[in-house]
Amino acid sequence: MKSTFTQLTPDQKSWLDSYLDQTITPGDFEAMQSSLATDPAYRAIARRYLSLDDFLANLPAEAPALIKKKVIPFPNLIPLAAAAALAFLLGSALMLWWQPNQNPPLSSTPSPSPSAQGFAVIENLFNATWPANTTPHQPGDSLGAEHFRLASGTAEIQFFSGASMTIEGPADISLKSAWEAHCSQGAVRMKVPPAARGFKLHCPSTEIIDLGTEFGLVVKNGEGQVEVFDGEIALTHHNKEEKLLTKGQALTLSQTGPLSTLASGKISVPNAETFRPQAAQELTTSFQAWQKHRDTLARDQRLIAYYTFDQASSLIPNLTLPRNPELDGAVILAEPVGGRWPSLKSALEFRRPGSRVRVNIPGEFQALTFSCWVRIDSLDRRYNALFMGDGYENGEPHWQIRDDGKLMLSIMVDQDKPHPTYPEKSRYHHVYFSPKIWDLSMSGKWLYLTSVYHPASALVSHFVNGQKVSSETIAPDFLVKSLRIGNGEIGNWGQPFRKDPNFTIRNLNGRMDELAIFDTALTDEEVQSLYQNSRSTHH
Amino acid sequence: MPSPPDTHQDDRYEAFIQHFAHWEPDLRRFIRSLLPTREDADEVLQQTALVAWRKFDQFDRSTPFIKWTCVIARFEALAYRRKMARDRLVFREDILDLMADEGLSELDHRQEEQDALEHCLSELPEKQRKLVTLAYTPGIKIKDLAAQAGSTAPAFYMRLKRIRHQLMACLESKITSP
Repeated sequence: MKSTFTQLTPDQKSWLDSYLDQTITPGDFEAMQSSLATDPAYRAIARRYLSLDDFLANLPAEAPALIKKKVIPFPNLIPLAAAAALAFLLGSALMLWWQPNQNPPLSSTPSPSPSAQGFAVIENLFNATWPANTTPHQPGDSLGAEHFRLASGTAEIQFFSGASMTIEGPADISLKSAWEAHCSQGAVRMKVPPAARGFKLHCPSTEIIDLGTEFGLVVKNGEGQVEVFDGEIALTHHNKEEKLLTKGQALTLSQTGPLSTLASGKISVPNAETFRPQAAQELTTSFQAWQKHRDTLARDQRLIAYYTFDQASSLIPNLTLPRNPELDGAVILAEPVGGRWPSLKSALEFRRPGSRVRVNIPGEFQALTFSCWVRIDSLDRRYNALFMGDGYENGEPHWQIRDDGKLMLSIMVDQDKPHPTYPEKSRYHHVYFSPKIWDLSMSGKWLYLTSVYHPASALVSHFVNGQKVSSETIAPDFLVKSLRIGNGEIGNWGQPFRKDPNFTIRNLNGRMDELAIFDTALTDEEVQSLYQNSRSTHH
Repeated sequence: MPSPPDTHQDDRYEAFIQHFAHWEPDLRRFIRSLLPTREDADEVLQQTALVAWRKFDQFDRSTPFIKWTCVIARFEALAYRRKMARDRLVFREDILDLMADEGLSELDHRQEEQDALEHCLSELPEKQRKLVTLAYTPGIKIKDLAAQAGSTAPAFYMRLKRIRHQLMACLESKITSP
């Protein structure tokens, strides 16, 4: 077993250093915590390292002017005179020992990256309503340390520890970690598989430790009632009375008094299973509504391409009418996976680096609107393709998302003229960015993205779920009036003119369920209505 | 009836301060292992001192003072953690719990390591020792240090990191050898 710092993995070491320097990225911090959680030796070395940091911070100062921090009982302040002396000392001391060319300086500090702070996810909601002043949740939302409040209806929450919780409103649950929650009101059914044994659920008077089981807890006006349906739980009442409870046993957890027994079958907690048929029915209804919408949309004369990715073949039809098989897309390596209605409709996944759909869309256009339903798992590439014109020649579009979560739309202005800022690397064009619209907490959630290029009003606009998130004026120098697509790709970029792999591999780590391109600039209302009509109520 | 001068209170305060002053470095090291920065640790140390003073009446003389304050510190660290902004990178509760539990049983190790560290520091080349002392001086910002030296903060952190690694290797060679 490793017992010294040098025996740590390079990652483990560098996490500790960037944690100390406060430059650790949220992603690395998460990895560090996972490692700490499972590796006692790493924890021991981390404590030793942090204690070294403390040792260094509390060395007796070298110069008398450097007052050492005294914490107790007075507030610690460096007197002004000492601070002035310190500033002087710094100047001279630095000159003594600093040799700038000894080590090459690092180019930059790490840029902050998006993080997934959550430790639980909303699996399902059944007729859920929310208290005033709280943001309504949707299935797929990730949850962190927060209060989860439900006015009525039922919610199914899956913790990353493996425990699942079905809650019936009105409820107020404070989520602490993947292993702990406090219930101050509501009816809860916990299912704890062996891997999540030890999950703690608190109510006002009692701590309940789940020993791998299924149990119910109802909390009302501070009083709790608990019943074990299967397995075993251990509880501690008012920090003193301890009890083991097994299948069929039930107790009243008094807010002030001792425990008292309760007949089994008295408490009523929600069971997600009973909602499944209803949920399946809702899913079907929602899917049928979308099919109707699809058939209506396909007749829209302004559509130049419409793919729904649900054919199990290597060709995906362009559904615009009249149908023209010449316009069908060819699927390369992209794989069919569950779509927005998982059991009813498939989508295409572009996870493998070579995956793409190749299309050909002839014609010249006065405006373009791109819209798609996409589920991003992570932004692995510097640029992650949604729809890309092959050669990126004059008038051709690139629609993609940068790794910082910003949506990008650009049109090549002049392929024979160097880019004003990057003359060596790029040709004359301008990228219109949205604000950051995606971070890791949205991983796995379906989003409806729309971007509009409108030369007549010299505007580029971006929308997320039907809402406009940004609009930027096209400068006269960058205005392109005649737009084209020709050969292009969905979910990747086939013909980049750079060798750098950061730029050449642009496959989207995620799936696409629907993509529509219009030869017009849709209005804000039209974008909103497309979103409303094409969304799945399941999401 | 006028109350007599509270000599009992004064004696208690004296006893508390003596205990606390003696154990403060150990307590601070313990807290440091639970929180992201020294500033965070200082905050919790202050809070712990206040709570310990308030509860000093309940202190059972048969248990070590340091263990008692560490238990208080652990709760204060958890409370502090909950108050911190969600975007701050602070250990999850389960990790904080583990670090506190295990840290509590290592208080003696930590003390032994201090002497070894003194030794290791004295063995560093003078330039490095000065750099690390300066960089760790309270109130100093690495950014400012780097700017004054005409360098960058990352380059500075890199040097500090190397020195810490050296010290760590030295420390571990001293404590792990029989």
